[in-house]
Amino acid sequence: MAEYLLPVSLGEAGEMMAAHGRSLAIIAGGTSAMRCGTCRGKRGRGIACIECAGPRLVSVPNSAYVMDIQQLGLDQIEADNGLLRIGAGVSLRDLALSDAPDTLRQAARRVGGPAIRNVATVGGNIFARQPYGTVAAVLLAMDAVLAFTGPDGPQQIEMAEFYASGGNAPGLLTHIGCPHPAGKLLFLKCARQRFGGPTVISVALRIELADDGSVSAARIALGGAGETPLRAGAAEELLIGKPLSAEIIEAAAAAAAENCAPPSDPVATAWYRQRMVGVYVARALAQAAGVEAAAEGEAA
Amino acid sequence: MTSKLIQLTVNGREEHIAADRLTTLQQVLREKLDCTTVKDGCTQGGCGACSVLVDGELALACLLPASRLEGAEVTTLEGLNESNSVGVIQECFVEHSAAQCGFCTSGMIVSVKALLDENPAPSDDDVMEAISGNLCRCTGYLPIIEAVKSAATKLAKGGTPHEQKTSG
Repeated sequence: MAEYLLPVSLGEAGEMMAAHGRSLAIIAGGTSAMRCGTCRGKRGRGIACIECAGPRLVSVPNSAYVMDIQQLGLDQIEADNGLLRIGAGVSLRDLALSDAPDTLRQAARRVGGPAIRNVATVGGNIFARQPYGTVAAVLLAMDAVLAFTGPDGPQQIEMAEFYASGGNAPGLLTHIGCPHPAGKLLFLKCARQRFGGPTVISVALRIELADDGSVSAARIALGGAGETPLRAGAAEELLIGKPLSAEIIEAAAAAAAENCAPPSDPVATAWYRQRMVGVYVARALAQAAGVEAAAEGEAA
Repeated sequence: MTSKLIQLTVNGREEHIAADRLTTLQQVLREKLDCTTVKDGCTQGGCGACSVLVDGELALACLLPASRLEGAEVTTLEGLNESNSVGVIQECFVEHSAAQCGFCTSGMIVSVKALLDENPAPSDDDVMEAISGNLCRCTGYLPIIEAVKSAATKLAKGGTPHEQKTSG
């Protein structure tokens, strides 16, 4: 069983990380990592949890040290020059009740039940094994930036770049910088239950339309569609400069589904997830197009 | 192996417990303090049977490292039994057959207590969201939702479990 460390300052946390290197795992709320820690004794009983079904980002049983970051004071949300600075230790409950954009708050509210949201953190969600990490998908669509502190000083990495390079942290994640979302931001989660229920896949869409109704900027972020949350780059490119017509929406949804490799786990198979990516990307785009049409109608 | 002495207030009583390494709150409550309403279900945060209140907030005991909780106030169903609202909730669970095998019931009632403290007049959706982390494999949930709404109505009218018993 791992040794438990509870630093009370960033300086102390840095010293622990320097002293223990790769034998140290970092936990925040622990709602994902702790289950991995307690699951070990259950494997013998033939129960395979989702964490055991594939590779993990945080491996509590295999780490000699576990560092808990819940007393580092990283639980604040601050507005900073039009940028929202969300502390890595902010609970999903606090995010859901904050002044953050509605879509981000809705996504936070779709994670687990109330007991999980009281403890699970935004920072943890960035590293959560798929299909978790639905809040991370929304942050990815918002072009959020991750701020780390490490042996080489503070470091900022764009989320898209962070996940594209495998999702390896260069230090301790302290906060997430989140620009105010331009255009429309939408979030859809495919799950088997209306409340709670693990994610099959999730889609976060941010879209900006030019005056002529063509797409000027598009971000499609998928949760549960790969090893980490990811951007549907091919679908985004396909949308640029085009109107949100039924044909374009269908083509973009197909491109998103074709270009992802979702995991199979006890929640859903890769086959099903891939199809749901197509369905939900199409649904999100249709909603974006529909809302726009309704707004125009009102103006006229 | 190093053990750390942590101080917790459990159901109003100050406790000093040796917790080694990644001991969970669930292990402390069940194995050291005999709080057996904190059920050992999945130990994965998936079933809600170990729901407790930590500093008044709903949490899953199986996922919390005990060492993080130095100085915290933990309340299990044992500690809520004195509370008037929990008495009413329990009675309504009985009236509506909201408990069958009973394994989920203690966690369920802690979740419901947390809901009604925050929202005294919940809608069906509010109740479903509040108990979405508590699995019940017997009732199909509908009797539970009925029981919670009936408890909310009784509490709004100032009902107490004792009165319910004598008048009924």
